[in-house]
Amino acid sequence: MAFREQNPNAAGTDNGDPLATLMRARQLIHDAQQAIEEASQSVVQQRASSGEIPEREARLARAENDREELATRLLEVEHQVGRLMTLYVATYQLHATLDPADVQSTIAEIAVNLIGAQQFALLLRNEDGSALEIRMQEGNIDAPWSSAATYSGGDPLVDAALLDGVLRFGPVEGSPVLVVVPLRVQDVTVGALLITRLLSHKAKLDEEDREILDLLGAHAASALFASRVYARAARKLRTLEDLIKLVKKG
Amino acid sequence: MNAIKTRKVLVVEDSRLIHKMYEVMLRPCMLIAAHDGREGLARLAEHPDVDVIILDINMPHMTGLEFLGEVKQTPDFAAIPVVIVSTEGKEEDVARGLKAGAVAYLKKPFQREDLLKIIGRLTTDRTAPQRR
Repeated sequence: MAFREQNPNAAGTDNGDPLATLMRARQLIHDAQQAIEEASQSVVQQRASSGEIPEREARLARAENDREELATRLLEVEHQVGRLMTLYVATYQLHATLDPADVQSTIAEIAVNLIGAQQFALLLRNEDGSALEIRMQEGNIDAPWSSAATYSGGDPLVDAALLDGVLRFGPVEGSPVLVVVPLRVQDVTVGALLITRLLSHKAKLDEEDREILDLLGAHAASALFASRVYARAARKLRTLEDLIKLVKKG
Repeated sequence: MNAIKTRKVLVVEDSRLIHKMYEVMLRPCMLIAAHDGREGLARLAEHPDVDVIILDINMPHMTGLEFLGEVKQTPDFAAIPVVIVSTEGKEEDVARGLKAGAVAYLKKPFQREDLLKIIGRLTTDRTAPQRR
């Protein structure tokens, strides 16, 4: 059978020609088949993509979890940075001066501003090591030793800490002291910081306070020791200079 | 964590330790230091463009609350936000500070995050029309 080649678009115009009608019908069927194929392909694609949704949702949830974990971790790191900054500043300030009075006032500033102490005392062994002087006292401490110039023992917590040089937390029976920070240089206890009361909004000492107290125990003592040695050397130097001047005059 | 842009902060505080602390914690900011209320007013006159004032309460010569009163009575400075950072932490202390015109009250010892949050909020939220 031979068919006349016809323009399919023109087929519809041949209303009276059965061959043309047939050709048009063939074209329509062809178009319809093509449309069905396209539609089925689209359905297949949609099915495929709808199959990916749960997987994508799971990935999204995992990403969200990761983000939350990172945010938490970032907060922890920020907090840790803050703690390190505090320790750095305390250490820096303790060693920033060679004046014993300045070192003492730095110890007091650390006790108040970084630990939250309201009442405290600083005991320091005198130059010949014969007595523990009460060099500084903040607030009215209700303890038998608080009105004396030197500490001669009697508080069980303080005595124990001075003996072994270990940080001790109270209060214990017979002692109003909340914490004793022994100040040690080369394994020798040269004094102690005693805290007997915290600021009203500071409920208790925590782990972070302990870090600062440990730092104080080591660095306050060496800063005090260095400043005392420097002061002594400066005093001797002045005496020698005066002596030389006198000799020159004579 | 709020990022702090380079801003001018007046610190009125008598503790050298805390001055150093701010210097380390508020590194992006330009800090103007004063060690009591009287010196704070002098620094403020030299730097009227400060963005925030960090203020201690217990200081020699002029206390923080006296300083705050002076600042709030001076039209040129009245709109500068003041943050009190103090060891005075009772409820009445906080209420007194806020009533005197402070925008925030932080108790010592403070956490760095809390300070940054407050300073960050004040330096980013603040808009020009608030100042005279």
